[in-house]
Amino acid sequence: MSSAVLNRLKDEYGAVRAVLPPGVIGAERRREALEALCAQGLPAARDENWRYTDLRILEQARFAPVQTQAAALPPLPEVPEGFARYVFVDGRLHSGAGAAHGVTVHTARTDDASAAAWRLEARLPEARLALLNETFATDAVSIEVAAGTQAAGIELVFIASAAATEGASYPRVRLALGADSRLSVIERHLGRAEAPSLVTSAVQVDLAPHAALTHYRVQQLGAQAAWFDTLSAELAADARYEMLAVGAGALSARSTVHARLSGRGAEFSLAAAALADGQQSLDLYALSEHVAPRTRTEQTFRGIASNRSRAAFNGKVVVREGARGTDSRQSLRGLLDGAQCEVDLRPQLEIYTDEVSCSHGATAGKLDENMLFYLLSRGIAPEAAQHLLKWAFLEDVIAKITLSDLRRQIETTLLGQMRELETLKELL
Amino acid sequence: MLTIKNLHATVDGQEILKGLDLEVPEGEVHAIMGPNGSGKSTLAHVLAGRPGYTVTAGSVHFKGRDLLALSPEERAREGVFLGFQYPVEIPGVNNVYLLKAAVNAARAHRGEPEVDAFEFLTLVREKMRLMRMDESMLSRGVNEGFSGGEKKRNEILQMLVLEPSLAVLDETDSGLDIDALKIVAHGVNTLRAPNRSQLLVTHYQRLLEHIVPDRVHVLVKGRIVRSGDRTLALELEQRGYDWLISEAA
Repeated sequence: MSSAVLNRLKDEYGAVRAVLPPGVIGAERRREALEALCAQGLPAARDENWRYTDLRILEQARFAPVQTQAAALPPLPEVPEGFARYVFVDGRLHSGAGAAHGVTVHTARTDDASAAAWRLEARLPEARLALLNETFATDAVSIEVAAGTQAAGIELVFIASAAATEGASYPRVRLALGADSRLSVIERHLGRAEAPSLVTSAVQVDLAPHAALTHYRVQQLGAQAAWFDTLSAELAADARYEMLAVGAGALSARSTVHARLSGRGAEFSLAAAALADGQQSLDLYALSEHVAPRTRTEQTFRGIASNRSRAAFNGKVVVREGARGTDSRQSLRGLLDGAQCEVDLRPQLEIYTDEVSCSHGATAGKLDENMLFYLLSRGIAPEAAQHLLKWAFLEDVIAKITLSDLRRQIETTLLGQMRELETLKELL
Repeated sequence: MLTIKNLHATVDGQEILKGLDLEVPEGEVHAIMGPNGSGKSTLAHVLAGRPGYTVTAGSVHFKGRDLLALSPEERAREGVFLGFQYPVEIPGVNNVYLLKAAVNAARAHRGEPEVDAFEFLTLVREKMRLMRMDESMLSRGVNEGFSGGEKKRNEILQMLVLEPSLAVLDETDSGLDIDALKIVAHGVNTLRAPNRSQLLVTHYQRLLEHIVPDRVHVLVKGRIVRSGDRTLALELEQRGYDWLISEAA
């Protein structure tokens, strides 16, 4: 299939390249990205690190970006207190303004976003869909935090409104924190329930020494959508990056996260929860790369698969030569709810130096019968008891969301996803 | 309240209860004693409806209704409470909110409105003081990180709040030190009422020093082999179970 799809990709690019905004990415760079992608080929199920991704949508999807104006937007959750919200619809800025002192937000509308120091060239074959984003992106948001700024937060809402037949959308984000600065970012991907949208996002994170970023990523696209996401982070000395990712939407979702700890003492923690149901396929590939000494990483994953769905986490930790005194922990757990569902957990560790402390654990299983009976014996209905235990299973990740407004919203979302009984909301 | 006739039950295909008869009238506290492996815990779980415990013959009636026809959650809502010998930890499910959901499930079953949140919390706090439980348990997961004694006290706390018609306490005394035993016994005693019954499953008679039963039954090899008043428990304390085992054989 690949060559036919690649030819179509080139044709589609040829047809729209004149209207792609050079202020977002220059024409030359787009062409180079496309060439690089074509040289590598699109990912396929036979690729070891793509085997858990449902890539079928790439065969039929239209790659050219959506050109039409969106109809009515879906209702948006409340803006968490202290956050400035920016809304992008089908890959273009729709509304948003303001940010705390010391924070600058660039978009294609405000100025030349292409001037920002993007480095989304795909270093890894797992990150190659960032090239697709680079080829077609229609807007970009670059958030820069000045050194020493203790900023509150920015919320980025990306809404996929159009159907895949109308075109794809390409959210593009850069978060650049100066030395000793601090920022919280909420990144949401929402979609219309019935739209089979194709969303290919690319996110770049640059943390200067002693910068601290808390990054919440909430994927709640519509049940027919596909989300292919690539995030690349570079951490300087003593930088701290905390990522909390919750995935519940989309028919097929794949996120590739690559954090490179290039400065001594940098810390990266990733906590991810995936809740898959129906025919969903939710796949997360995370690579934590220890380059400098005394760096620390943590990966926590809790995935639930029900019915015929799949939840996958492929977590790789690489300790480069010279990254002495590294500390890395992985805790991966999967819960299977049904005979035809699938949980894939793949902890991988590559160590090229001495004096490191690395631990990992991966377990997958069914709901605990003893817990279930305990709840039944207290009068809780079987369906509610199962939902409650699933909820509890995700708690290791959800409890890390210290932003209470967001946490409540996510809890409500996940309960909705579990087709939860009203009364169970009481239990939170 | 509870009438059991010729009850036979199997676990993993092995017959554990072999024709058990028992009558617990309203307002009474009965103790089931017996050696290890006699079927005491099996009886408790059969009454609560645990999957894997198969009734092959006999009947159990609770307030005149066929208890065995009800699902575990229906039994709970009807007023049957099982105090577990080994209460499970359920991290992530809040202890008090589970209790509230349990109360509301029973209320909905009776056609009553949901409990008022403030009144409920006041009630729980009062019962927690009675059980000498730390307030921090309000915010913790179900039995999460609780010691053995705390788990047992939590079971009794749940019982006090749910006010079941029939409480079946499965070896609630096991693993308790003497202070905890007194607290648990006090909790159980406060629930004694003319319209409630309790069935205490225990291996030792020391619990019965603090909770005085109306009747004591001895279970050996799946059947009640002797019944009597509380002096039977004292006799067992002195003589052990062996004489009853050989009599039963």
